[in-house]
Order: sequence, then structure tokens, then C-alpha cells
Amino acid sequence: MKKMKRYSLTLTVNNETHAVVTPPNRTLLEVLRDDLHLTGTKEGCGEGACGSCTVLVDGQPVRSCLTLAVAMEGRTITTIEGLAQGGRLHPIQAAFVEHHAIQCGFCSPGMILAAYALLNENPNPGEAEIRRAISGNVCRCTGYAKIVKAVQSLAGEGR
Amino acid sequence: MEKFTLLGKNRKRVDTAAKATGEALFSADLSLPRMLVGKVLRSPHPHARILAIDTSKAEKLPGVKAVITAKDIGGDKWGVFRYTQDQQFLPTEKVRYVGEEVAAVAAVDEDTALEALALIDVQYEVLPSVFTMADAMADGAPQLHDAYPNNINVRVKIDVGDIEKGFNESYLVREDLFSAPEDTYCQAEPYAVAAQFDQAGNIEIWMPNAGPHMKAKPLANVLKIPLNKVRVRKITIGGAFGGRSEISPADVICAFLARKARRPVKIVYSREENTVATRQAHALVTRIKTGVDREGKVLAREIICHMDGGAYSSTGPIATSVPFLCMEQAYRMDNVRFTGYRILTNKPIRGMFRVHGRAFACGVDVQLDRMGEELGIDPLTMRLRNARQAGDYTPTRSYVASCGLTEAIIRVGEKSGWKEKFGKLPPYHGIGIGCNSVQTGFPMGIRGGSQAFIKLNEDGGITVITGIVDNGQGNDNMVVQIAAEELGLTPDDVQLISADTEVTPSDPGSYSMCETFIGGNAVRLAARDVKRKLFRIAAGEFGTGEDELTARDRKIFVTKNPEISMSIAKAVRIALSRNESISGEGSYWPDVDAKREWVKNPYGQLSEAFSFGAVIVEVKVDPETGQVEVLEATAAQDVGFALHPQVIEGQFEGGIAMGGQGGMLTEFLQWHEGRVLNPSQSGYLVPLAIDMPKINSIIVETIDPKGPYGAKEAGMSVAMSAAQAYCGAISNAVGVSFHDYPITPDKIVKAIEEKKKTKK
Amino acid sequence: MKLPPFEYLEPSTVPEALSMLDAYRDRVQIIAGGTEAVNRLKMRLISPDYIMNIKKLPDLGGIVEHEQSIIIGANVSINEIRDSSLLQDKYKAIAEAAFQVAAPPLANMGTIGGNILQNTRCLFYNQSEIVLKGLEVCHKRGGASCLAVKGGKRCFSVYQGDMAPALIAFDAQCVLEKSGSRRTISIRALFSGEGVQPFSMAGNEMLTGIIIPKQNGAYGSAYRKLRLRGSLDYPLSSAAALLAINADGKFAVSRLVIGAAGPAPKIVDGASAALLGKLPEEANLKAAADMAYELSEGVDNLALPGDYRRKMVRVLAQRALKGARADMKRGM
Repeated sequence: MKKMKRYSLTLTVNNETHAVVTPPNRTLLEVLRDDLHLTGTKEGCGEGACGSCTVLVDGQPVRSCLTLAVAMEGRTITTIEGLAQGGRLHPIQAAFVEHHAIQCGFCSPGMILAAYALLNENPNPGEAEIRRAISGNVCRCTGYAKIVKAVQSLAGEGR
Repeated sequence: MEKFTLLGKNRKRVDTAAKATGEALFSADLSLPRMLVGKVLRSPHPHARILAIDTSKAEKLPGVKAVITAKDIGGDKWGVFRYTQDQQFLPTEKVRYVGEEVAAVAAVDEDTALEALALIDVQYEVLPSVFTMADAMADGAPQLHDAYPNNINVRVKIDVGDIEKGFNESYLVREDLFSAPEDTYCQAEPYAVAAQFDQAGNIEIWMPNAGPHMKAKPLANVLKIPLNKVRVRKITIGGAFGGRSEISPADVICAFLARKARRPVKIVYSREENTVATRQAHALVTRIKTGVDREGKVLAREIICHMDGGAYSSTGPIATSVPFLCMEQAYRMDNVRFTGYRILTNKPIRGMFRVHGRAFACGVDVQLDRMGEELGIDPLTMRLRNARQAGDYTPTRSYVASCGLTEAIIRVGEKSGWKEKFGKLPPYHGIGIGCNSVQTGFPMGIRGGSQAFIKLNEDGGITVITGIVDNGQGNDNMVVQIAAEELGLTPDDVQLISADTEVTPSDPGSYSMCETFIGGNAVRLAARDVKRKLFRIAAGEFGTGEDELTARDRKIFVTKNPEISMSIAKAVRIALSRNESISGEGSYWPDVDAKREWVKNPYGQLSEAFSFGAVIVEVKVDPETGQVEVLEATAAQDVGFALHPQVIEGQFEGGIAMGGQGGMLTEFLQWHEGRVLNPSQSGYLVPLAIDMPKINSIIVETIDPKGPYGAKEAGMSVAMSAAQAYCGAISNAVGVSFHDYPITPDKIVKAIEEKKKTKK
Repeated sequence: MKLPPFEYLEPSTVPEALSMLDAYRDRVQIIAGGTEAVNRLKMRLISPDYIMNIKKLPDLGGIVEHEQSIIIGANVSINEIRDSSLLQDKYKAIAEAAFQVAAPPLANMGTIGGNILQNTRCLFYNQSEIVLKGLEVCHKRGGASCLAVKGGKRCFSVYQGDMAPALIAFDAQCVLEKSGSRRTISIRALFSGEGVQPFSMAGNEMLTGIIIPKQNGAYGSAYRKLRLRGSLDYPLSSAAALLAINADGKFAVSRLVIGAAGPAPKIVDGASAALLGKLPEEANLKAAADMAYELSEGVDNLALPGDYRRKMVRVLAQRALKGARADMKRGM
């Protein structure tokens, strides 16, 4: 088995810096889950087609399963664990819970981050815009109806 | 009607905050000390004899801690039923589908495990294979198992009344063929298993499951250890939808690797493995012949259904029966003959699926629509004419105690504007209706009942111990709701220990739509047991009768005189101070016919209760591209009693997505010589947020006499009736009946072209 | 899915990147957004010794308007193209194509260079070992068979990129650089026209920029895409159209380009000839769409059958032409 060079990275995740040593053939998803034990981000398909691996890089949603960890030096990464502050749910998380937008919960971290990114860019989205913003996140349980309602409940609220 | 504090309300679920923060742990999230990575070697051939397996090079690779083949596990064959024991967890003689497990390794990391797999040398003798049911049943076809000549795995025959007489008396008779290829669960969470043994030989194992007790027994058998040494642990589960109920080779492989390596092992399936190596849904070909009188009432029906079961039995007898049973429950049919065949082919194994039998249910409804058209009766009226009623017996002799189908049809018709729309919409704009019914559980032998315990703490809090499992639908919350409601506590006062076979008593599991009915009833009874004991104490202290008391707001008080009260905590401490332990127990076994058997005796009470419902869907079809825009879907479902309306709506909405939007428009597996060409999410297309229509949900309550607070199942029926409604709506829009599903755009374009040709 | 082993290169300048390409040639795979390359690595469609990340290179960004052209750096993300008001206003087909690429998170990662240079696809090619082991090796994988078309003597894989057809409609050019030299060719010429090696690029060349010649006068454009779902999926059929009229109100320039209809986007040359000199209202868009159909190719190697996808070429070509005409009128 080819011996690969190991890279020392400094990853900024949820406002914390982490020293990571890794060979290059690892995705950001693997490093987050296996090295940093941030298991909130999930692998649902491994090919970028489901959105369960969604994290924010410099505030923008990306597929962490298609992102090389070694390319993330100097970038700001936000995972689902970075939303709640001091044990209190972020308003988006609270809205998902209130509106029953979570059933099995596997797609929820990615879905919540996609909604978070949308509301940061557009604080007052209409239904069509919400559906398009989360159109890359697959949910098998909810039919999306209450997810949309949860996001709509936050639209227009100054934050 | 009792007034409830918690039941029937929409309080936050107890489990979703942890899912919102990412703290909830799924099987693949687990990390155990010195844990190894497990990987499975799979057959590249659809049918082949295994001549030899050489694992020596893999075993020598540094970092590899265990390698196993069939000789480590033994050759015992397992099956859901005693008469369907045909699957070894690692095969000794033959592989029967591309992707079947052949060997496995556990290594210190994934790269090493993958390298080790590549070093395992398997010698195969390739055998001829069969990929279609016709080829499989033909004389001289290669036989997958000696036990099933002509590869006919299961045959179910149900014959009631006199269909010849019924057809002779019919005003109209029609016969059609309906078909659909395989679809699949595509749960959000790919399968994963983690296992570890302790010094005493006890195994702890975590995996997504629809019933931990159903996993524990086969594990105990194959590991040759008693049941009390098998701990299938509670874990957050990312969807089941009818799958994940049976023991999986992955479970057994992980356990044996862990035992051999003497270290914890975790196997995480890729999305492809989840599609190919767990279960899929059956492909169906259904021939239906139906006769109706001038009023559209069905006088006779004959159905012959062939289902492609893949390479092993799995839940074969159940799968072969359920599509028929749903229809015989939903619609009256006094004279009916059903023959169901499950056929084996060299393809991945099929099991029960929430949308099981779209080519069956849609066929029944298509015929009602077409015959109604000939009679001048609209589809909704046809449903009303044939709807199941409370007090009926189904053809296979289940008594139907509660049934709100008629109410569901009427209300869904009103909400969707059926009368204003049907027959009055512009071209390529259509509306359709589907009705279905799902049994709330079925006879499961010694696994058919559920038991719950309740432990009380001296400060008034409780712990409920139950085998009920939550796949995401909200069962954990249901248990807490019921216990808290009965005892006048808040959900925060209730701790839950569930779905852990070390501690929790047996329960049928969730895949047969019975957790609310059977499990919920057991919890309710356990809570009432506690309440009786607490009331006895309080009554003694107050000098009143026990029936004069109420429990609410953490207190027990005299109903007519609420100032006379004591906290529940106090009642508990009084018991303890009298040297009396206080706890609760309840168990529920449905009163079903124990002699009913899927194949040998498919008659008798199947289930104590049945859900019923109807869905109406409105669509617009682009005649040039065949694409379907779904405008609105309305679902009305008799759920008995809505324990939690928003949770139930969530089931309706998810069901419409899975059965209708996906099942009718985009979901199908594509094949090449027994290989799935679209196992991943970029190829197997499930609905996205941007695809879904507006959904209206109507909850119908008939308060079933046996269900807890009147509740029945609510999770599967809408998925089916949505499929039927989509089919009807598209057929209505295009003016052509569709008999092959899903109704993808190419089929619509072809149908429109052919219609134009025949017009000319 | 585990990535195969490789060494990682992160050049800091374009010249450094080009000299690495010189040194490693076919042993290096360029990665920008990663949405294509990482998937191909996971599937073991490629096993390069080196992965070279060009995402951080300076000089590969920007949508800049010059006097005669718009120049877009190869690393510009699809979302940035989607959101560019210049492109939305004056190069609508390009913005529409960007809007329809995949879904927003993927379009955020993906670059225009990467989207153009995506490899062709086929149900039988984009598979991992669990499916393909035991089958004959197909042309695209270095063998001599076609699994999609029995007895197929060539590769029938499909080019499913969204950006290229829209860019070709504008006769866009691309800049290819290698150590010491650069050349500019039309994006149309970038495509070899065949499935095994879809691009006519040397192993040491890198695409650094796209040049869109400015269109003058009254013109309009549109991009139409067909997929099963409303987002995420590659096109099963696509068409891009540019229509421009001259002073007397008749078509002077028209380009109709079809995508997902063969191993490369195709300009429907006959359509240009057919529309030339016609008034917009009288022009026979349907005839042009029929020509598109004749040029298209479709076998059963994607989600829906090939004959359906060919029929949709006709439908989408007509819709793209109508869309371009409407866009033109909007600007008048």
C-alpha cells in the first residue's frame, strides 16, 4: 500500500482551531467525523447527491464528502455542532423542533445548515425560494412540508 | 370522551432536539475503544459455485485483525419462517446474486481493510443465472435452491365465495395486466453495524433495526449463546420503511469479526451496499379480472400476482400476501380468488416495503375508474360503492371493528373540490383518487405481544421500559406521552429505556405497523397498573374510593374536591416507607387468530384493527415532455385516534412523497444481468423539496375499541393510497390508463402519441 | 466511499501549476470544485498519482467586461455566474444554464472550468466495482465492448454538462495554457466528439479562462434543460439557442446547440442556415428543431430511454429557440 505524506493542517471549525495530521486522501467529512469526533455531519451517499454531509465553508453550503480536507487550510468551517450556543438551540433548530420538521433526523443537520445559509443570504424568502435552497437536501421521511413551514416561520424576522 | 393534557396535542417530540443539534448518535457515529473497521467481500457473479476461498494473504497483511468466511460461522440456514430457512449468513456452497456476502475482514483502518479484501482469492465456477420471473419458472431453468422447484418460493391461495357465479352475474367484466419493476427504501441512513464482546462473552451490538428482539434471537442462535447474552442496543435509527426488521448478514458478520478479533468492529455500508445488500422491494406483475354490476358494485374479482423475490425467501409469505390483504380490507369483495407467487431470481433479496405492491393496488383502482367510466359513474362514487364498512368481515374473515373509509372519501372529496373538478378540467389536467387499508400488525407467534415495565423514583419521576422501537416516526415520544398522560406527569418526568434487548421485554417491532396498537397498549396498561397502586395508597390516606381520584399536574387529588391532594412523589414514598416496592407492568397481546398462517391457512382474524384512507391528487401534464406537475394532494386517513396530529400529518406528507411522488413518477431500479445500475442517490431518484405539491391532511377518528385511546396505524396506508391517486390523476389527465409504473415521462409521451394515432 | 491513495499538490501560481503538469502529465488530475474529480476518484474511474488543486490559484477568477468580450476565469463558481447581473441581462442562456446546474450547494463548489471539462457519463461507466466486476470491459474503460449497446463499436457515453452548450451558442472561446505557451480555441473545438476521450487537450494543458465575444444589436438567448426531478440531476436532454437580428429585423446570427445528445454538445448547423434572413415571426423554429432531432443521438444508457431523450431534443430545441426570441424582444 502506497505510503502517503501526512499533512499538518489547522482547521477552524465552529470557531475553534484544531491541529489535524492527515494523509491527503481524506475528505473533510472523514476528518470532521473520525478525527474531530463531530459526528453530526453524516455520510448518506458519499457522492454529493443527498446533502447529509452539508457543512458551511466560509458561510456557504458545500458537500463535505466531496471536499478534500487538505484543501481546507485557512477556511472557516461550520458544522451543525456550531449552531447551538451555550446549550440553547439556534432559532433555526428550535423552529425545526417546534414545527415537527424532524423525523428520523439523519438529514436534519444538513437540512438545517442549508436553511441557515439561505436565511443569512435572504432573510425573507418565499416558499419557492425555500424549496429551491433545500432542493439539494434529500429527506425520505417528511415530504418536506414541515421543513418548509419551519423555515417560513423564520422568514422576515430580523436576526 | 376523556379530556387529555398531552394526547391529541402537538407538543415537541422528546427526541428531536438531539437530532437538531447533531448529538443523536446513529450506528455509524459510534466510536468504541480500539474499534476496527469491517469490510465485506462480495460476489461478482449472479450465480456461481464457490470452489475455494484463500484468505491467507489477507490474514498476513499488517493491520488485519480478523478474516472470516463461512467456515467461521457454520452453515446453518436461517429464515423468517421455519419453512423458509434458506439463507446462510456467509454461503458455503453457492452465491446467488451479485453483491452477496462471501467473506469479511476487520482491520485497523479503512485503507487496510480494503487492501485486505483485494487479497482474498475466491475461486468460482460460474453457473447459468435467471433474471426474469418467466425465465426462472421455465422448465429446465437453473434452480437457485433445491427446496423450491421451478424457483417458486411461495404460493398463496385465497379463495372465497364463488367467483364464477359472480362473473356470470356481472354487468361488466374486465381483465388487465399491471406491472412495476423494483423500487427500494432509500432510507436516509445507510446500514451500519457496530459490535463488541465483553470478557464474559456478552455481545453488545448496534444497528438500525425495526425490532431489536427480532434481531437478537437469530444472533443468539448463530453465535450459539443464550439470548440473555445478546444485547441489541438502543440507537437512533435513520428510517426503516418496512426494512431492517430481519437479521442481516452484516449483523452476523460484524459479530463474528468482533469475537474473532477480540475487539469492537464497525461496518458501515456505502449507499450502494444499502441498496444491493440489505433488502429491496419486489417487482410485480399482477393480472386482475373484476366484474361489477350496473351500480359499479364489485361482484367478483380474480387476481394472479407474480412477485420477483430475488435470491432468498426473506419475509416471502408475508410479502406475497400483504398487497392482496390491503385491498381486501379496503374494498368489499365477497367473491374473490387470489393466487400469489413469489419467484426467486438471481438478484438481490426483496422484503416488505411501505409502498409494497404499486402494481397491485394501482391495478385495482385503475379498473374501478375504467369500469366506472363505462357505467357513467365517477371514480369517487365507485370507491364509495365498494368501500369497506365497520362491522364487515373481510373475505379472509377478519372482523373490522372500526372503519372510517366512507368518511375519509367524502371529506377528501370535499377538500379537494372533486365534484367541481372531475371531468371539468382542461386537457392534460387531471384528478384521481386512491383508497387503501393497512392492518395494524399481524399474527407473529411468540413475538406477537408487547410488555412494558414502569419504575418509580421516590421524587415522583418514572422510567418506562419497553421494547418499542423508533425508526424516526415518533414512537419514543408516543411512549412518553402515554405514560405521562396516564399518570398526570409531564414528559420531563418520564425517562425512557427502550429497544434494548438486555433490559426491555419482547415487542413485535415497528415494521408491521403495530407499535402504537400493541406496544402503546402495553405502555398504557403498565401506566394504569401504576396508577391503580398509587390510587390505592392515596385513597387509603384520603378515606375515599379509588374511583373518586384523578392524577394530573404531578398530583393525585379527589376529582370533586381538588384541594384534597398529595404529590405522586409522596404516594411513592408512602409505599416505600411501608417496605412495599412499587412499580408497574402491562402487556398486550392482540386477539388474533393464532391458527391463521400465511400459506397453510390464510383465514381468520389477521389484526384487531385496520386503518383506512383515501388520497386525491390533482396534476398537470406537459404533453410535449410528459413531465407531471403535481398541483395538490389531499389525504384523509382513519387513524382511530390522533395521539399527536402533527406527527401523524408528517406520516401523511412523507407517505405522499414516497408512494406518490416517488413511487409513481421517478422511483425504479435499472438492471443489467442481475446488477443494479442505479444503486446510488444520483441514479435512484427520490423526491426533492422542489418537486412536492401542496399537501392537505385530514385526520379521521373512529376511536377503535381496542386501540390505545382508539388509535390505529397511520404510517403506511397513505403511501399506498397516494400511489393509487397519482396513477388515477395522471391517467385522467392524459385520457389513457397506465398499467406500468412508475409513470415516467417517456411512457406518457408514448401514450399520447399512440392515442393520437388511434384517433386518426 | 474511500478515496484511493494519491499525493497532493497545491501550486501557488499558474506557472507553477503548468510546470507541475509538464512534470507529471497523465499522472496528475486537476481538481477545482471537486464535485466531479472526487466522485471519479471514489469510483476508481481514475487513479492518478497526483491531485493538483487549482482552486486557490490567483488570476483564475473574475467576470470582467472588456470592449469586445466578457472574460470569465476558469475558477469562477457556477453560483457566481448564476448571480451575475451582466450575464443575466445580456447573456441569458449562460446564466440560465448556471441556474440549472445541479443544486445550489454543488453549484457553489463547482467552477465553470470544471463544469465544461466534466467527463462523459453512462449508466454502465459511472459505476463502482461491485457492479462492473464480472462484466466485459467497455470502450471507455479501455476495453473493446459496449455494455449499453450490444455489439457497439464505439463509446456511446453522453456529455451532460450544462454550461458548454450555452457557451457554444455564444461561440465562446477558451484559453488553454501550458508551460511557455497558450492557445485560444472555440469551446466547440475543445470537444473531440467521441466518448472515450471527450476532450482535445494535451496532458499538460490547463483551461484558464473563457472568452465570450460580445454580441451586438438585438439578440436573445435561452437554455432549456430536461431532468426527472426539479433539481440536482444532470440533463437528460438540453438545448441552448442564440438568435440575433440585423437592422432589417431578420435573423443574422443563430446558433442552436444541443446537449446530452451524444458525447459532445452539437451545433445544429442546418438550423442557422434555415433561419438566416427570416423574420422572427415567420422563421420556422419547428424545422430547426427537427434538424436538431436528426443530429441527436440517444441510446438506453441513462435514466430514461434513448428514443425518448431524442424526442425531447426536438422539444427543448424549439423551447430554447422560442425562449431566445422572447429574450430578444425583451431587449428591444
